[in-house]
Amino acid sequence: MTWKFRRSLEPHINAKPDGPRRTALKPTGNLTIGFSGGLGSTVLLDLVNRYYVSPDKSLVTAEGGRDHPRNERVWKKVTVCYVEVCDAFPEMKDRTDEIREIVQKCEGVDFLPIHIQDAFDRAWWEKMGGKPVLSQVKIDMANENIPFSMLSDESLSSSLSALRTYIASLPTPTALSNALRSLTRVLLQYAAHFTDSSHLLLGASLTSLAVSLISSISQGGGFHVREEAQEEWFADVVQEHAEDSRHKKGKWRGGGVRVIRPLRDVGMKECAAWAWWMQLRVVGREKWRWPGAKVGIGKLTKDFIAGLEKDYPSTVSTIVRTCGKLAPKGGTVGKCLICERPVPEGVQEWKARISIRSHETPSDAPVPLTSPDLTSLAPFICYVCHTTLTSKGTRAAPPLFPPEVGTPGMVSLPSWSNARMSVSTDGGESNTGRRIREPEMREIVKEYLLDD
Amino acid sequence: MPPRNCALCNTARAILKRPKTGQQICKECFFYVFETEVHNTITEARLFNPGDKVAIGASGGKDSTVLAYVMKALNDRYQYGLELFLLSIDEGITGYRDDSLETVKRNQQQYDIPLKILSYDELYGWTMDAIVSQVGKKNNCTFCGVFRRQALDRGAAMLNVDHIVTGHNADDIAETVLMNIMRGDIARLGRCTSICTQGEDTIKRSKPFKYAYEKEIVMYAYFKKLDYFSTECIYSPDAYRGHARVFLKDLEAARPSAIIDIIHSGEAFEITDEVKATQKVQQTCKRCGYMSSNELCKACTLLEGLERGMATSAITDRARKRLDAEGPGPDNLRTIPYFQRGNTAPSSQVANG
Repeated sequence: MTWKFRRSLEPHINAKPDGPRRTALKPTGNLTIGFSGGLGSTVLLDLVNRYYVSPDKSLVTAEGGRDHPRNERVWKKVTVCYVEVCDAFPEMKDRTDEIREIVQKCEGVDFLPIHIQDAFDRAWWEKMGGKPVLSQVKIDMANENIPFSMLSDESLSSSLSALRTYIASLPTPTALSNALRSLTRVLLQYAAHFTDSSHLLLGASLTSLAVSLISSISQGGGFHVREEAQEEWFADVVQEHAEDSRHKKGKWRGGGVRVIRPLRDVGMKECAAWAWWMQLRVVGREKWRWPGAKVGIGKLTKDFIAGLEKDYPSTVSTIVRTCGKLAPKGGTVGKCLICERPVPEGVQEWKARISIRSHETPSDAPVPLTSPDLTSLAPFICYVCHTTLTSKGTRAAPPLFPPEVGTPGMVSLPSWSNARMSVSTDGGESNTGRRIREPEMREIVKEYLLDD
Repeated sequence: MPPRNCALCNTARAILKRPKTGQQICKECFFYVFETEVHNTITEARLFNPGDKVAIGASGGKDSTVLAYVMKALNDRYQYGLELFLLSIDEGITGYRDDSLETVKRNQQQYDIPLKILSYDELYGWTMDAIVSQVGKKNNCTFCGVFRRQALDRGAAMLNVDHIVTGHNADDIAETVLMNIMRGDIARLGRCTSICTQGEDTIKRSKPFKYAYEKEIVMYAYFKKLDYFSTECIYSPDAYRGHARVFLKDLEAARPSAIIDIIHSGEAFEITDEVKATQKVQQTCKRCGYMSSNELCKACTLLEGLERGMATSAITDRARKRLDAEGPGPDNLRTIPYFQRGNTAPSSQVANG
């Protein structure tokens, strides 16, 4: 178990994965651990603590050289980051204190709690070093093109209200849980960046990785099959002066955050056995349930894989092994404004070609490859996010919150999306490489703008 | 609730909700979008050339019945210039295939397309009834699948056609993507979303319904009042595929776009170059001349097992070793006729409508 954990982690600690590592584990930055309170992340925190923070002499043998973990800490600073999602649900307990208690048992580890609505909180974003949000992008999810408008500063709503409007506008339970998963992951990535971490570790076990792979593929995420297992992520909408100051202090790494799942070869049962032997307290993760909502694709996949594993025990390892042999096909056109993963080229053209949604396209002519519609967000987001925002269920989902809390309509996007759009309007590079000035943008989107 | 207008023409009353898009549309617009999407699939992939001879794999079920109707309609409307045939395989399943073949014969009359029926019995010397009596119900789908694929190619070669089109729909493809991932069948995963496959020396094989939802095919047949035969095979279905199918139906119920999303996933990834380099090179079966990744093709291996009374020899490693230990088969072993394009043997019937 510990061997599998180290085999999945240590080759990726050094900046160059192929270099000698037994005697020189030298990450370029700090470490952030994404902690949910579930089994996988509890085991992960324990293993990291035993190997790299407070070495357990029964596990860390006398082998190795000068830089072995027993002599020097691999990561100078370790931060455990917890994203509390209770405000996304009508009745859910805030477990931050409970989690804090568990984390504080590990000496030499910092605790960083985040609320899911911080994704929409401009103050949190700027405090963490994100580029200023000059205006807020509001989208209309009822339209498949996802038209957007840029609203001025004054119109900014509270982060909680923005979150609830966002999730109340999502069309299916599948979209809800996928959106929360995506927000959580990106929040963790930015938290890792802002704590100067070169590595972000997540507690996905072999079983949960197999579930997330199948679930992602079932939601159109085939292009991201590699990112589901491991990814190298770069923060590109952070303040340059913050980077410069850190660089001057000799802290800035100048690289990205490597997102690793070190338990990817360890099954859920092995994790459970470890937790039992080590007497770990697993507080568990609250079930993501919305009253009256149907079961989403994530939960269906989890139940299906669990059932299949009883008759075909090798299923989970086969899924992970098979997906490890796959690579994305085709080019990318930038980074998704919402989930920050690559946008495959031609998504909208593909969708238009395989299903006719209007009589406008001549039936006997090939579907034209149009240039990106600048009034629409669709060309700037990936297939999964577009599907999450627009793909409807057979019946409308029940309302999640009382109408006054979040009224679906024009919906805010997370701070990083706003910052990225601001970069586009501020003279930076947009996803398509074209610079769009604010007056031009306003002219394009004026029909969607609300009165000042 | 008052009746809604069609989301496409905005004039007629909407009578159905498209599973694929969720749009509420009228019957005429449904026919238009369904047929035009198939046409777009065909033209985008440049499947045919004018003058091509195309065999439609016809089982009498909903997919192939609708495919025959739509292919004929599109061929006439857009002047593809294709010469169409119906090609049916008779697996020899009493009470199942003999009934569905009656439907195909009616289709032949209705659409005025020539029909060819080729049976397992005349090609392999075995019917599925006989195979099941020897192997039981557990693994019989392996025999049927392998034999059908080769039989279609051989039937097409007898008709001297360039191309076979089959009624595989979006649900079938999505299900196959999931199955191949879960079973670790990386070779099939790499090609299962291709609209057109062509082995060396074999006939092109395409799936014009690749993006058509099964439910929409049924809707089309229903509104067009097409005559099709519907029943489950009387021999037990593939258990693993059954699990995948149920799962897919659950996904579709949760979010109807799941089917097309899985196909998009399958098209958005490919096998890494390192893995491709380790895959077996395609060769020709030394016994029957059909494409194969081993010395003997799967059909010949299965047939040899049947003939020698060790039917599971191509399915389990242990049975294969037992067969090998017994040495080469007798000289009078029945084998599959040598495969050649344009071959006319064994004796067959081509009925003209």
